[in-house]
Formats: sequence, structure tokens, C-alpha cells
Amino acid sequence: MQLYCIFFLSGFAALFYQLIWQRALFTLYGTSAESVTVVVTVFMLGLGLGSLAGGALSRSPRVSPTLAFALAELLIGACGLASLPVFRWVASLTPAAAGMEVGLPAFALLLLPTLCMGATLPLLSSFAIARSGSVGRSLGMLYFVNTLGSAAACAAAALAAFGALGQGGALQLAATVNFAAAAWVLAAFRGRGASA
Amino acid sequence: MILAWLLAFASGFIALSHEILWYRVYSYASQGAADAFALLLAAYLMGIALGSYAARALCRDADLPLRAVAWLLAASALAFLVPPAVAWQVTLLDAWALTLPFVVLAAGLLGAVFPLVSHATIAPDARSGSRISYVYLANILGAVAGSLGTGFVMLDRWPLGTVAWALACVSLGAAAALVASRTVPRAKLAAALAACAAGAGTLYALQPLLYGSLYEKLQYGSDYRGQRFAQLVENKSGVIAVTATGTVFGGGVYDGSFNTSLARDTNGVSRAYALAGLHPAPREVLMIGLASGSWAVAVAALPQLERLTVVEINPGYLELLPRHPEVAGLLRDPRVRIVIDDGRRWLVRHPERRFDAIVVNGTMHWRAHASNLLSAQFADLARSRLRAGGVYYFNATGSKRAARTAADAFAHVLRVNNCIAASDAPLAFDATAWLRALRQARVDGRPVLEGGVQGERALLTRTLQQIEPEASLRAGIARAAPITDDNMGDEWRAADR
Repeated sequence: MQLYCIFFLSGFAALFYQLIWQRALFTLYGTSAESVTVVVTVFMLGLGLGSLAGGALSRSPRVSPTLAFALAELLIGACGLASLPVFRWVASLTPAAAGMEVGLPAFALLLLPTLCMGATLPLLSSFAIARSGSVGRSLGMLYFVNTLGSAAACAAAALAAFGALGQGGALQLAATVNFAAAAWVLAAFRGRGASA
Repeated sequence: MILAWLLAFASGFIALSHEILWYRVYSYASQGAADAFALLLAAYLMGIALGSYAARALCRDADLPLRAVAWLLAASALAFLVPPAVAWQVTLLDAWALTLPFVVLAAGLLGAVFPLVSHATIAPDARSGSRISYVYLANILGAVAGSLGTGFVMLDRWPLGTVAWALACVSLGAAAALVASRTVPRAKLAAALAACAAGAGTLYALQPLLYGSLYEKLQYGSDYRGQRFAQLVENKSGVIAVTATGTVFGGGVYDGSFNTSLARDTNGVSRAYALAGLHPAPREVLMIGLASGSWAVAVAALPQLERLTVVEINPGYLELLPRHPEVAGLLRDPRVRIVIDDGRRWLVRHPERRFDAIVVNGTMHWRAHASNLLSAQFADLARSRLRAGGVYYFNATGSKRAARTAADAFAHVLRVNNCIAASDAPLAFDATAWLRALRQARVDGRPVLEGGVQGERALLTRTLQQIEPEASLRAGIARAAPITDDNMGDEWRAADR
């Protein structure tokens, strides 16, 4: 149950980042259809590459999935806190980027955090499947709670958080959630393998 | 595993493609409210989550999951019905948010596919995490293909109903392909293929009925009585509708109308002509936002104008100009150059350009991304691109926060109706200069001022009534919070709309 709560938090923070980062990049690079498509595509490609990285890590017997998950959450949180100034700095270096050219700076900016986000599902699913023995049930539950967390983040953003906190405040909230997830997973599962 | 990748790819493509279509529908229904996307995404993810949860019940044996996936893919063709259902319900309730359960339901069908496919094809061993990552990657790549293929290509070429039907065909095709890939009796396979073909045919036949007046229903809500738009432009940048009386709606919100006459000022075009009283000689002007083109025609009519650069984000507006004689001349005016780009980005990318006036004929201050052109950061950018004595003149759409933002950035401000003029030079409406310019102003060779001396006096009186001087304006906006890129103005404050 703890694992699912933690993954809910992870999904919650991830969607805050997605909404804010997309918004910040649209401000910097424009809201034309080309920019929007490129930024969304780059975000998802980062998640996909992260999924591969997480899958590769989960194969290694020397890597603790929960420790790797905690590190990923810490990195995401750190990237979140640093993101807006870095975005503005990179945008100031690439003022001429337009349309498809936005892809390169967007990819550079989003690669690390989206890699970490994408890695979390394979990492935790391998851990959970080893405990339950069922791919469908473990993955279904993890995917459920993670996506539910993301859905809750969207609702929270729309109904209160973005209006009250702005981009910077919302990013701080998301980073706090990441750090809490990392601390929780370390406290609850550190040193416990699949048989725990 | 290849089957798992293909199915995960297909479900990712279909799900994200529908999300793009639904966003178009909800964005239009909500008039582009920022929270529409977040709430749609919440409903979409809720559906995916519930589908994923429900999938756990279907993971009892090895064969059941793939059979379920075939049924789910086929059923996802019913997502074709979501936009018409939303439009129908909006005509009943005038509340787009209440239609989000349709999205939850439709997304739920596809949310189950990823865990079911993974369960059917991945053994619960030490390599399960790695194999899941491949399936997950395929799902994400499908979503990327949906973003590019549907959002960027299909929506730029086809109307919404055709795209929705094409996606239904993908759903039915994927279901049929999955059935065909399994060892099923020939008769069963033939029945499945026939059912998919019949489903596609039925939806195609229903398309004109369900999608024929979809945007009209979303636009008029409970006031819908069978109205039809005179023109509808759909492309990857959005939807532009024109009524029979020439009113323009961009993404569902009022975007002006085709009128350049001061005598029949149905669209407040006098605000654009007011530029002649705000700057002694606006020779080089930048206008962000073309819309109907009426404001651009008004500014181009001013006698001192040498060059007008208009930046518009949606190329669809260019299609409208030749069809409306009031503004068609804009395309033939050698002094006017229309650029398709994001206005703020265009300014950033052209640091060498300086203007006597930057006119922002923007959208409602509470719409998604509106604060990009109303924030303190944009005001600073505009200020840096003005010549000495230049004027930044923008439609604040009644936002005190937008007015306060400009008042903080510039030394002087005044209000013209719902527009704010700001400058570092002393600013006052010069009625004499305004009248002199308008007497010389021509639209397609015809004088702008009509009605002789009496007409001029009446117009001057009406115009002066729209002016609020600096002291009064500053007092009225003193308590309003400035808009910044960070706080995004009123975009996420539904209560302030």
C-alpha cells in the first residue's frame, strides 16, 4: 500500500511539471502549433527514453529499484526547482529558435527530468511484480495510482494551485512532493528486496 | 513481444489522438479557458487510471487479456461519439465541465490496454521491468505519433469529424488485426472483420449528422436554434468561425467583426483609429493580432503610415480576408506585411526593429496564454522596441491588472475604452491631430470620415468619452496586482472572468 501511495505522489508531481514546463516553454518559444507539438513530443520522447533506462536498471541485480526510484525523484525535484531560471537562460541563448527548431533546446532542457520520470514505472513495477508474481495486477495497480496522481494534479492545478501559487510556487510544491516520495520510499523499503 | 509493442503503440496513438480532438472541442466550448486543458487532462487521466485498475480483474488467465484488448480496441471506436455528445449536452446545460464523464468513459477503454497487453506477453520474472519498459516505450511512441500525426497533420487537412472517423477506423482496424493474428475459426474471423467494416461504415454515414453543426452547438449552447456559420476555418492552429452577420469567433470567443466604418462602429474600430490622437506620426507600426483585419485596415488608413507589420498566429485568418471586401484591400497594400508567427516570439526574434507604435489587438485577458502578451515581461519587451516617443497600445479587455502592469512599465498611461495606451513620453489624446489625420485617412480610396462637420463633431464627442486620463486611470488600478509570466494573470482564476 505504501508503494502505491508513493507512486501516486510521483504521478502528482510529474503532471505539475508537465503543465508548468510546457507553459513556460510556450511563453519562451511561442504558442504556435509547431512549438506546441514539438514541446509535447519532446516531453513524451524523454519519458520513453527514461522507460528504457528504467527497464535496463531494473535488470541489474546490483541496483536496488527503490533506491534508484528515490534518486530519480530527488533528481526530478532538483530539476524542478532549477528549471525556470535555466529555461530562461537557454531561451536567451536561442532567441531565433522557431517551429521545429524549438525541438533541440526543448529536448536539452527536458531530457534529464523526463528520463527520470519515465524510469520510475519500470523500476517500481519490477519491484512490485517480484513481490506479487502477477504482471497485470501489479502493473495495473501501479499504472492506476500513478495516473490517478496525475489526474489529481491536473484538477488541483486548474482549481487552485496555479492561480494561487503561480509557476514558481507550483514548482516548489511539486519538488516538495518529489522529495517526500523519495524520503518515504527510502524509509519504507531501504534494504528490503523483492521478498520483503 | 512484437504483438505487445504494436498493440501498445496503437493504443497510445488512438488515446492521444482523441485527447487532441477533445481538447479542440473543450477549448472551443470553454472559449479557450486555461483550466479547460487541465480539467480535460484530469478526466482523460482518470479514465486511463480507472481502465488500468479494471484491467486487473481481467488478468486471471493468459488468453482472456488479449481477447479483452480486441474488444476494448473495437469499443474505443465509440470515442467518435464524444465530441457530438459534448456538443449536444452543452446545448442542454451550457456547462462544458459537466460533460467530462464522457471523456473518462472513452479514455477508460484504452487505459486497460497497456496492463492487459503486458500481462499477456510478459512473464513475471527478473526481466519483467525491462520488458515492461519496451511496451511502455511503444505506448509512448504511439502517443508521439498521435501528437504529430493527428495534431499536426490530420487536423491541418481535415475537419474534426473526418479525423474522428479516421481514428475510429484505426481502432476497428487494430481490433480486426488482433483477431486476425490469433488462431480463431475462419467464420469467427470473417464475422469480426465484417463487424469492423460495418462499424466503420455506420460511423461514416453518421458523420454529417453528428458533426455537421458541432461548432455552432458549442458556440451558442442553450441558445442554439439551428444557426449555421457562414464560414468555418479549421486547421492545426485552431478553429475560426464567421457568422452570417460577419462576427468572427476565434476558438469560440468573440474576435471582432468585419467593419472599418466609424459611422457604423459595431466593433469598436474607433479604438484603432484613436491611434492618430495618441502619436503625432505613427509611421512604423507593429500590430500583434490580425483577427478580422479591421483594426489593421484602420491603422493602414492613417496618412502618416509608412509600414505596418501584422503578426498573426493563426494562418486561417488570411483565408478570410479575400472573402470580405471591407478588409480585402489589406492584402494589396504594399505598406502592409502580414507574418504568421507568435507575436511575442516575433518581437524577441527581431531585436533590430523599432516602432512608433506597437498595437496589440489581443484576446480576452483570461484565456489560455493571454498573459504572454499582457505580462510585465512583455511590456518591458515592447518598451525596448519603441522609438523615442513611441506608444504601446493594447486591448486590455477590461483587465485592471493588465492596465496596472503597463502603468508600472511606462511613465505615462491613458485609457481608450477598454484599451490602454502607454508611453515613456507624456501622453494625451490630441483631438486636433486625430481629426486632421482622419480627414486625410482613406480606406480603399474612400474617406473615413462621413457626415460632414456634424458627423465629425459627433464622432469626436464619442471618442473623447472613451478617454480616461492618466491620474484617474492610475487611481482606479492602484490596487490591482500586476501580471507576470510567473503568476499568469487571470488565466487560472476562473472566479475573475
